[in-house]
Amino acid sequence: MKVRVDPERCQGHTLCAMRAPDTFELSEIDGHSSVVQEEVPADQESDVREAVLSCPERAISVIS
Amino acid sequence: MTTEDAAVDDDGGRKHPQVHFDRHTPDYRDRFEDITHELHGQCPIAWTETHGGHWVASGNREVFELARSAEFLSNDHDVKGERRGYKGISIPPPPRASEAQGGFLEMDPPDQRYYRQTLNPYLSPAAIQRWIPFVDEVVRASIDEKIESGHIDFVDDLANIVPAVLTLAMMGIPIERWTIYNEPAHASVYTPPNSPDRERVLDLSRKMGMDLMGQLMEIRKVPRPGLVDALVRADLNGRTPDDGELLGVLALLIGGGFDTTTALTAHALEWLSQNPEDRDRLSRDRKTLLDSATEEFLRFYTPAPGDGRTFSADCEIAGTEFKEGERLWLSWAMANRDPSVFPDPDTIDMERKGNRHSSFGLGIHRCIGSNVARTVFKRMVTAVLDRMPDYRCDAEGAVHYETIGVIQGMRHLPATFTPGKRLGAGLDETLAELQKVCDEQRLAEPVTVRKSTARIGT
Repeated sequence: MKVRVDPERCQGHTLCAMRAPDTFELSEIDGHSSVVQEEVPADQESDVREAVLSCPERAISVIS
Repeated sequence: MTTEDAAVDDDGGRKHPQVHFDRHTPDYRDRFEDITHELHGQCPIAWTETHGGHWVASGNREVFELARSAEFLSNDHDVKGERRGYKGISIPPPPRASEAQGGFLEMDPPDQRYYRQTLNPYLSPAAIQRWIPFVDEVVRASIDEKIESGHIDFVDDLANIVPAVLTLAMMGIPIERWTIYNEPAHASVYTPPNSPDRERVLDLSRKMGMDLMGQLMEIRKVPRPGLVDALVRADLNGRTPDDGELLGVLALLIGGGFDTTTALTAHALEWLSQNPEDRDRLSRDRKTLLDSATEEFLRFYTPAPGDGRTFSADCEIAGTEFKEGERLWLSWAMANRDPSVFPDPDTIDMERKGNRHSSFGLGIHRCIGSNVARTVFKRMVTAVLDRMPDYRCDAEGAVHYETIGVIQGMRHLPATFTPGKRLGAGLDETLAELQKVCDEQRLAEPVTVRKSTARIGT
């Protein structure tokens, strides 16, 4: 599974990093999210799926 | 609410369906769930003639699509009539005499973006993380004032104090002055225009404004780290804002920082008192439960229930045609109860999954203080769970805001609990000590300048 954050849509709500802190990192400056690595390790897949569903801006997408 | 005949519309039936919707009435608070589900079922976007006529978006999909259409929506409050005369985010707008631009929340890009870029390094998750020992110390002292008595008012004695003190500290304003700011910040929200108390509240607001102006001038002369300093030295793409504009920004930071977090905390503590098993579970399982429970309280109580906008161009969004100049109410609170996104929406589920609530707004105006709000809320609630685990709120003494048109808040929430031991100094002494820490460690610097966490009592 691959995961991406659309930087145009992300507004820094920070919920993704709350749900899946090993996959998403937040900018120190404005809290906007980016992925640590596109390829999601199997043991993080369910957290990442939950992050997708929690994003208020629908900015995260996964490709499996 | 009644759905009215579209034929009365003088715009070829475009303003359809029409409803009677007035969120400033006590009835809207009392029947919030019924009204919300009626709107969802019949007209997730509707036109209402109240308050000068405006659209109301309540459906989750509709609110989402509208809020994210920044190219067609304006937040501008054109107080001086220099642009298109738009009225900002309040519906109805404030009376002409007391009209002022509400900071960057009543601006459009690019100015709105320049302001946020200026302030973000003070408000990011990493920036707020540094303040946690400071927050904990204010919480500790506030609780210590009451812990031996077995009585507390969670609003007056805790949830008003902590957000106020932290907001001022972050701004770079001496924290002992929190009492000058506290009363007007809350009372100006819950006091209706026709109240006999209105004059007193206006007077307190004027005093707060004068103090803010004094701070602004002082910090301009002698730099002192914090949000005020960032603003007086801001270069907004070559433009230096005047004092009136800056005061609007400072008032926005206070309005956003004080009443909303108080509102969330009071409602959550009230619900936890009514649901003691959930309270015990939250305390026990806080490691896994506190984040999702916080988001659920945010969703369910939506302290800032919505925002106004003005259409800046003719457009069609979510299946409805809008004309330039028309006003729109985006109801975050009603979007948060849409059953198509939130199963069983009127029930609090502390473990709720997929909780993509809009309580901090959506799109480019996302609440810039969201990280402050979450952190302060969590520190206050967990301290209460630790130090007064058997607290009982007194239903008779609880006072909710009469209307929820602006903020869904509480004025009082008295409670009793088994008395405990003080852990340290009282509030005044603690604030004096914390001011020294603020000054010596320059806590209010942006995260780009100071990375380290506050050190207390070392």
